[in-house]
Amino acid sequence: LISPGLITAALIERSLNHLLLQSPGATEALRRHAGRSVRFDLTLAQYDCRIADDGCFSEAVVDAPDAIIRPTPALVARLPFFGREALRHAEYSGDPALLATLDRVFKQLNWDVEADLAPLVGDIAAHRLHALGRDTLAGIAHTFSAFGRNASEYMVEEAELMARGVDVARFNHAVDVLADDAARLDARLRLLESRQPLQDAHPRIA
Amino acid sequence: MDKTTHFGYKQVAESEKAAKVAEVFHSVAAQYDLMNDLMSAGLHRLWKRFAVAQAGLRPGMKVLDVAGGTADLTRLFLKEVGETGTVLLTDINFSMLREGRDRMLNEGWTPPTVQCDGERLPFPDNYFNCVSVAFGLRNMTHKDQALAEMNRVLKPGGRLLVLEFSKVWKPLEPAYDLYSFKLLPLMGKLIARDAASYQYLAESIRMHPGQEELKTMMETAGFAKVSYHNLTAGVVALHKGFKV
Repeated sequence: LISPGLITAALIERSLNHLLLQSPGATEALRRHAGRSVRFDLTLAQYDCRIADDGCFSEAVVDAPDAIIRPTPALVARLPFFGREALRHAEYSGDPALLATLDRVFKQLNWDVEADLAPLVGDIAAHRLHALGRDTLAGIAHTFSAFGRNASEYMVEEAELMARGVDVARFNHAVDVLADDAARLDARLRLLESRQPLQDAHPRIA
Repeated sequence: MDKTTHFGYKQVAESEKAAKVAEVFHSVAAQYDLMNDLMSAGLHRLWKRFAVAQAGLRPGMKVLDVAGGTADLTRLFLKEVGETGTVLLTDINFSMLREGRDRMLNEGWTPPTVQCDGERLPFPDNYFNCVSVAFGLRNMTHKDQALAEMNRVLKPGGRLLVLEFSKVWKPLEPAYDLYSFKLLPLMGKLIARDAASYQYLAESIRMHPGQEELKTMMETAGFAKVSYHNLTAGVVALHKGFKV
């Protein structure tokens, strides 16, 4: 009874266009590529669109898209905490000029949460809710980061399940030195072996 | 002899169906919104909002609301397209159109309203970004012709939204039948003083093509990437297609 494609497509279209219209210069940059097609490949769903004359995305029927954007799991995991920074974890392919514009536009997208909340709850409540949400996300990010640091410290220092980076680098350097020494020794031995018959032919007389 | 078509469960001459449908809507126009709220327990408002959310409208766009009746969708579309956009409210039935126009005027909207037949739209080719028909296609005599007309007036890349009663989820059918054929006419009799019109409503829903049939009809009319979404277990389905 459920076809998620229809809802997903509408959600992506509305969200993207909303962000584009909130970010100064975004639609102007995309307007230069009006008529070009973009595919957002979300693995479970696929959203095909064209860049409309007003610089917004419009769902469309597309056979061969000019650009394909494939978000990775890393992007989805990082998006709530790192925002635009996480966008570099998407995979881009297609027309370089269009991709360059899309990359630039996506990096400058800015969601003005406060402006969206204000008509619903009023200016002051919107400001406070936004601050609360921002602090909560920052707190969650800090908690995860601290947890990761503690876990790695335990595994390295206490349980000795993992080696420290500096120790691994030192070990790798020692392996490189040993490999070089072994190679030199091998070369020297081969040289000595090649001289052996000459010494046998003319034994030295005391 | 004139070809026949269905009017609810009855067979009537094709030339008579429009007049008979008109009679129904003349009769129910005044109580239409109240009855919609009562019959659907207010759900029709959510269905319409869902349809508008699928329209992908932005300020400046042109929208045609076919069989728009009391302008529920038109008013939602107007908020999306802003002052720079255009929404045309049309209906074949003057009583319904008058209700819709008056409601909009009372709320401060003044969009153009046009009384016209959905099967012969008096608009140029490739003109609208979006065409919608909500609970109207069911009553049209030549649905294929109406869909072809909607395709004609859409711009390439434009989308058609068809919100219509559909085939309900099988396990719910007995309860839905009981509601449609017993309760609906009774409500019509008590509130709108017109049981026959609501009997027609129930019958016309059963005669309307199901989800897959309508999807095929839209594809035959030239729409691409046609998809649908069942609402309230298939009581209503929203079909969306694109002109290529």
